[in-house]
Amino acid sequence: MALAAKDIITEETPSAAPPGYSTLILQNRKIVFGGILFLLILGTALAGALMIDPKLRRSGSITRKLPPHAAAVLGTTSLGQSVAAQMTEAVPNSIQVGLIAALLGTVIGSLLGFVSGYFGGWVDAVLRVVIDVFLAVPVLLFLVLIAALVRGVTVQHMAIIIGLFAWSWPARAIRSQTLSLKTRPFVDVARISGMSGFDIITRELVPQMLPWLGANFVNAFIVAILAEAGLSILGLGPQREMTLGMMIYWSLSYGSILQNMWWWWLTPVVTLMLLFLALYLIHLGFDEVSNPRLRTQV
Amino acid sequence: MRAYVAYVGQRFLILLATIILAMTIVFLLPRLVPGDPMGAIMAKLSSVGAGRGNEALIRDYMERFGLNKPVWQQYIDYLVQLAQGNLGYSIANFPAKVSDLIFTALPWTVGLLLVTTVLSWLIGSVLGAVVGWRESKSVTIRAVVVLALVAYTTPYYILAILLLFAFAFLVPIFPLAGAYEVGTKPEFTFAFTVDVLRHAALPAMSIILVSLGWWFLSMRSLMISIKGEDYILWAEAKGLFPRRILWRYGFRNALLPQATGLALSLGYLVGGALVTEVIFGYPGIGWLIFSSIKGLDYPVIQGSVMLIIISVALVNFAMDLIYPFIDPRIRQAQTG
Repeated sequence: MALAAKDIITEETPSAAPPGYSTLILQNRKIVFGGILFLLILGTALAGALMIDPKLRRSGSITRKLPPHAAAVLGTTSLGQSVAAQMTEAVPNSIQVGLIAALLGTVIGSLLGFVSGYFGGWVDAVLRVVIDVFLAVPVLLFLVLIAALVRGVTVQHMAIIIGLFAWSWPARAIRSQTLSLKTRPFVDVARISGMSGFDIITRELVPQMLPWLGANFVNAFIVAILAEAGLSILGLGPQREMTLGMMIYWSLSYGSILQNMWWWWLTPVVTLMLLFLALYLIHLGFDEVSNPRLRTQV
Repeated sequence: MRAYVAYVGQRFLILLATIILAMTIVFLLPRLVPGDPMGAIMAKLSSVGAGRGNEALIRDYMERFGLNKPVWQQYIDYLVQLAQGNLGYSIANFPAKVSDLIFTALPWTVGLLLVTTVLSWLIGSVLGAVVGWRESKSVTIRAVVVLALVAYTTPYYILAILLLFAFAFLVPIFPLAGAYEVGTKPEFTFAFTVDVLRHAALPAMSIILVSLGWWFLSMRSLMISIKGEDYILWAEAKGLFPRRILWRYGFRNALLPQATGLALSLGYLVGGALVTEVIFGYPGIGWLIFSSIKGLDYPVIQGSVMLIIISVALVNFAMDLIYPFIDPRIRQAQTG
């Protein structure tokens, strides 16, 4: 309830020429900085994939337990893999999980949120209970159940499983936003001029909420990467592929902290933190674009 | 009073829906997932049962899952078993019962979660209120806000790994893993209590620091918006002491949304705490799930997951019951 009240979009001030969303997004320092950081992480991994021999990802391909040196810039693991070579696979995979899951979560969440908020009535009553239930449930546990049953998950499986449970927050946020938008005069005008409910949602409400949807998408992205790493640490990650979570899992299960092999666990940990920082900045930026009251703050 | 009953009824509906949903998902999943995991579980069971010459285990599961009966009948049987508190046997630790395993692990998780959640919520709210009330944009306050932001965006397990490295390896003040020294027996002595606290320090710290950041930030922004309210101006005009305005007028009003936030994030908190347990080898439900995953012990995973989901739903319901007593607005809203 507190969120709903706080996040209501304020009336646009009548200025000479209100800037479009694209200008606002490109002018937002947080989005630009976060975006650059994100691209830098992904770009480094992709460039690394071209430069580093993928054979070094296999165990036994290089001397074991070496700190960073010329042949392996990020050191090697207890199984004789190059950490840098693993990273070139792990970063794109983790980002892929985030993208697919966030897309699924935002699309399902928007659908439920718009329908529930706009049409109201018994549809809203039912959907609200469903959304409330999924909000209150520790979703990670459902993921644990599924992942424990699907033996040998792949990166794509994980993404879909996470995405199917990632819609409750977007649904709630978009529902409350729709509730406040639908009482605006422009929606009344659209309704009187004979637009159908579906048309009003897609042509009047969705464009109004694009930055909002963006913020929700980025948020779902963060949550998905978080869930992937959490599941992997629990031992439910893709055993045959590398993700940032799986790198942490393997390094922990071979006791890298105790053996002082800091390069093994620190690399995925720092990368995850940078990735979160980048995404969080983008998220804050989108919030500012959609909520002008936040813009003045540093 | 009628409004309160209607409100409680609505929240009870959500509780009921959550419990039914959890039980149904747990029932349906093994039957929906491709690759016949049910068959795999049965095969695993028969091999374990046969290996230890125990027919009872297999028969128990045959009866429990009754795979030859129609699905609706299986479902009803399953609900009856659950109602009797029967979660079946563990595969990996046969003949231990799932419920026994869970109840050995549960106190550790509940203790850890309860203490850390209450502490971080209280400290974060008070700090956030004090900082949010001051208007000054001093360097210290900005630094604190940035620090809180960093803490809040750090996932539990990342902080857990960093703390483990710093305080159990680099500067070994705290033990690496476990909940008490190996070889000691849980008992109510001073030495044992100290030992338990020492083991709980790092897991607790990683959960507290992360959630503290969040409670601090949300309380701060609540206080900033409350400061602009008319009733604060009025209190100031009356000449009340600033301290009284802060705690009686500002803080009290911010507590309710803050409590709502606590209820909403409970699920997330629990999930995070489970992963943190794994990193510290803390013998709670998270660790139980972790070792059951390794041992392909599906009945234990299933039982733990269901118990946690239902407990979270019950706690949420209990909090819903209390709200109207703190905030008359909820009672009012129901009448309209």
